[in-house]
Amino acid sequence: MFRKVLIANRGEIALRINRACHELGVATVAIFSEADRGSLHVRHADEAFCVGPGPVAASYLNIANILSTALICGADAIHPGYGFLAENARFAEITRDHGLTFIGPSPSVIAAMGDKATARRIMHESGVPTTPGSGILATPEEAAAFAEQIGYPVMLKATAGGGGKGMRAVESAADMVAAFATASAEAAASFRDGRLYAEKLIRSPRHIEVQVLGDEFGDVVHLGERDCSVQKPSHQKLIEEAPAPALDAAVRDRLHEMAVTAARAVKYTNAGTLEFLVDGANVYFMEMNTRIQVEHPVTEMVYGVDLVKEQIRIAAREPLGFTQADLQPHGCAIEVRVNAEDPENNFAPAAGTLGRVEFPGGPGVRVDTHVYAGTVVPPFYDSLLAKIIVTGRSRESAIMRMERALAETHIEGVKTTVEFAREILRDESFQRAGLGVDWLPNYLAQRVPALA
Amino acid sequence: MFEDTIAERVRPLAQAFSNGGLARLRVRDGEFEVEFRRAPAPVAAPAAAARPGGEAAAARSIDAILADVVGIVRFLRPAVSEGMALEGDRELAYVETLGIRNAVRSRGPGRVAMIYVTDGQPVEYGQPLFAIER
Repeated sequence: MFRKVLIANRGEIALRINRACHELGVATVAIFSEADRGSLHVRHADEAFCVGPGPVAASYLNIANILSTALICGADAIHPGYGFLAENARFAEITRDHGLTFIGPSPSVIAAMGDKATARRIMHESGVPTTPGSGILATPEEAAAFAEQIGYPVMLKATAGGGGKGMRAVESAADMVAAFATASAEAAASFRDGRLYAEKLIRSPRHIEVQVLGDEFGDVVHLGERDCSVQKPSHQKLIEEAPAPALDAAVRDRLHEMAVTAARAVKYTNAGTLEFLVDGANVYFMEMNTRIQVEHPVTEMVYGVDLVKEQIRIAAREPLGFTQADLQPHGCAIEVRVNAEDPENNFAPAAGTLGRVEFPGGPGVRVDTHVYAGTVVPPFYDSLLAKIIVTGRSRESAIMRMERALAETHIEGVKTTVEFAREILRDESFQRAGLGVDWLPNYLAQRVPALA
Repeated sequence: MFEDTIAERVRPLAQAFSNGGLARLRVRDGEFEVEFRRAPAPVAAPAAAARPGGEAAAARSIDAILADVVGIVRFLRPAVSEGMALEGDRELAYVETLGIRNAVRSRGPGRVAMIYVTDGQPVEYGQPLFAIER
């Protein structure tokens, strides 16, 4: 086991890693920016070093100062958390080159999964389905032929694209010629490259992801799935749960099997998540995240496994302490992200000083947070203030418990997502379960005019 | 860590200054006066600095030199000592970061009023290294 771990992150995840280290008897080094001097993650760590001013490029992404801190303190490993340097293959490599262990997969796996085209190709080759897509389409006729083959609707996309430019949904053959012309013209204007390809349009998919753990000796297990379909229009997740409700048992088994197959195919080590789009009985690989995820606690609560401790153990070359058969889910867990954001104003992030701060407690409630009364929420970082996680024997009881927990939650000084999350929990569609990723954007689109 | 009362008073001020995004901060309390400036202004202040001690106390000001990288501080030989007069912009030490030497300069002439660190000590970003009386 390691002697000392440097935690290259801030906020709730830095605290989360600090707790895992201390429970393993491992000393910790925190890094912080000048804007985070008073943060709880600094106070909980055994040592703490300021690595730069507030903006992330100068502090939490400052590889030289972070590695220098690790070497000065005699740390033997670095845990990157999520975001910042967590999926930076170069950082993982430099860490290794300085004789330290990067707590995560190998740099080559991070790089391969970080490139979408490479990841899709690898998955396709190992028999994991990806969204059906065409090559470059020269004419509307070629596009129509592809659409006939996979079935309408399809999405035309600019090969050089991004940000929604040069994208057109095509519902039927009658619309193809016009849609092709406008998408191609838009792509040419935006990217000086009018070439298009097409993908099967999945109208209302669910976002379901599978947690995997792989050790350094080739063992891979899954820890079930999480449903993260309640997403803001920006695709950021707001409410996550495990297991995915209202999911066909055969689809669930296939997801788990595909995740393990894919992880084995890339010789995956450490914790990772495979994200899938689920459309009825159809399942498509979307991407693989080579880090611990924000929503990992719902999996921990259902499986009784500390994923962060497992990450550290795996990186210290310990074999997995359990087999697939040992891992049995119990009950349901739901997580609500409490963000410093204004739901009434497109979730615009808010900064400021927190006044009164009260978090919930009682049976089946877990709060992962770094804030307290008086915390200054700086403008430089993501807006996550806390994650409230509840468990229940059934989904209904977990929802009731979350409602109770959110009612106990009071954060003053900035706008938060607490009341909005309560509104969602009370919504009949949410309670019925099985929602697609378009549900929340549609809900918001109908809600805003009603208020105006 | 800092037994000296002046050092104890300067350090929190230096931190407040570096956190606050201020361009200039001057604090006066009786005989004690300290001034922090973000950008080095080496050319402009020769008149006050050149004056020998004992004259017009109001003109005293102190520049805190802060570490701008994380690393190990190494003094140059011969090492500077408190009270030493500095002529011009002199390299006082360097901070070693991953084998790279980052020079720490006096940013102009003055007198070394305080040395906050010892040779070979690890320093964090923004940590006061020297106070230079101008």
